[in-house]
Amino acid sequence: MAGPVAVDRVGTASEVANMNGTAIRARGLTKRYGAITAVDQVDLDVRAASIFGLLGPNGAGKTTIIKLLTGLGDASAGEAEVAGYDVRRDPMRVKERIGWVAAEVILDDDFTAWENLWLQAQLQRLKGWGTRAEELLRYFGLSDRRDDKVQTYSTGMRKKLEIALALLHQPEVIFMDEPTIGLDASTRRMLWELIQGVNREFGITVLLTTHYIEEADALCDHIAIIDHGRIVAHGTPTELKARVGADFIEIATAEPVTAATFSAVPGVLEVRSQGASWILRVRSSEEVLPRLLGLLRTDGIRRLNVEKPSLETVFLDLTGQRLDTAGENIDYRKFYATMRRARG
Amino acid sequence: MTEVAETPPVTLSAATARPRASIGQGSQFVGLYARELLRTFRNPWVLVITIVQPFMWLAFFGSSFAGVPLSALDVLLHTHISSYIQFLLPGVLATSMLSVGMFGAMSTIQDKRFGFMKRILLTPTSKATVFLSKALGSATRGLVQIPIMIAAALIFGVRFAGDPLMWAGWILGLVFLGFGFSCLFLAVTASSVDWQTPGVISNFITMPLMFASGALFPSANFPVWMQDISAVNPVSYAALLGRGVVVSGTADWLYLGYLALFAAIMLLAGTLVASRYLKVE
Repeated sequence: MAGPVAVDRVGTASEVANMNGTAIRARGLTKRYGAITAVDQVDLDVRAASIFGLLGPNGAGKTTIIKLLTGLGDASAGEAEVAGYDVRRDPMRVKERIGWVAAEVILDDDFTAWENLWLQAQLQRLKGWGTRAEELLRYFGLSDRRDDKVQTYSTGMRKKLEIALALLHQPEVIFMDEPTIGLDASTRRMLWELIQGVNREFGITVLLTTHYIEEADALCDHIAIIDHGRIVAHGTPTELKARVGADFIEIATAEPVTAATFSAVPGVLEVRSQGASWILRVRSSEEVLPRLLGLLRTDGIRRLNVEKPSLETVFLDLTGQRLDTAGENIDYRKFYATMRRARG
Repeated sequence: MTEVAETPPVTLSAATARPRASIGQGSQFVGLYARELLRTFRNPWVLVITIVQPFMWLAFFGSSFAGVPLSALDVLLHTHISSYIQFLLPGVLATSMLSVGMFGAMSTIQDKRFGFMKRILLTPTSKATVFLSKALGSATRGLVQIPIMIAAALIFGVRFAGDPLMWAGWILGLVFLGFGFSCLFLAVTASSVDWQTPGVISNFITMPLMFASGALFPSANFPVWMQDISAVNPVSYAALLGRGVVVSGTADWLYLGYLALFAAIMLLAGTLVASRYLKVE
């Protein structure tokens, strides 16, 4: 039995694409706005039925990449293929095969859920969509609210309805732009489960953008780290973490120790002093830590901190900035500039 | 005792036929057009204003010559009428089609700002379809005023001439006019995302088109330069067509032809401009 994963596909070019296993393919994708290059020579290969994350700070160009891939914006250079069709040559075929979930919920508030679904079916030119719409409402637990106006819905319910709209025409690829921005922790977790469920059960490729490290880590099979419109690294979360290739041990001792003491320990790659502590870059903390403790009088350790590689350290390593502050720096600059002007 | 799971394990079976696009482009237009109408007429305030505004015109402006003897009005208006409202009604209806376009443009800008335009254009819907649904949507909204206004005039005790065919022709002319102005406004605001633009444009074009037309006063009293504007002003055609029907029971079908031409040109130009320049957000 094929099980619920199988989504019947019409024999099209997209089927070929899926057999080849690539849902999204981009080469040299570039978007310039005047002198500013928002997206710079981006290459992408997104495997069909995977969850792919574009991770980067605000303003890195993630949303622009989605616009180029969905045909909403014209690329200045480069090409992209989505669900087997060239975005520039066959934009309508691409749009028949993709779903889209916005960062901000975009629904007709004074319409009911069913009316919103009806409109989406009209726009996607669907026949016999009622059964599927009912299934989707049941899947998202919205059946008993289908005839209520959307303005009475909670944020989580709106988000669910928006995903239902995106799934109505059985797309092959879903684009989600910052799907959990501004949501509380429990709604965010609920949404993560939904996204994984949609991906697993329907075999739909998901491309999402996020600036939350834990989101990319929890959801994505594959991540591309974007900074200033360029992909600075990509791979599975595990691969990316392995890139750093080292753990960090921060240690402070009661009695003075020289750098040479640490350097002599096998597995220690680099020794730096930072204030009263030492920071050791080591190949593996599991390997080095017992040797280190054997070397030192254990009652003389004032401070010990082990940091395993995370996407955060990867981003730090690649850009020299922490991800959650990289975007905000710009805002602070603007903020202070405004303050200066206000003061005269 | 059975406990119902919070989320029943519903799966979207492969057996569900893929509801793949099989109906024509028409469904997109129907969906968007229905959305325009529902959004308008579900809002009670829109309905109230739609009904009250024509009454206000007739009550306030229509009564402003109440103290003038009819014989004097005949001289001023170059027509034999039974009341000033009878003269005014076709003009006010023609003028009200001017504001119709502004509402269409405003609703389009609202869709851009709330991201709805993105939602629409990320489906296989062309910009031309979006344009057409907006233009017809706002023209339809304007149409609603026509029966209300005529009923109001009847309540004010006005008697009308003309047969049903003439009336149908006149109303068709108003539809052409409203549709033409909707296209014009949508084309001019296609690349705008500013709430204020439609209002500014409306203020700019409504005044000259309203007064430099035969809508409120006969153009025979105008200076030559205003007569020139009036002669190419579609508002004039709709007003004169209607006035012929309701005052003297005669219809000059050439005016209807002009209005049809105006609508056709605006539709063509607007579609071209919108498919090229309609902004997404």
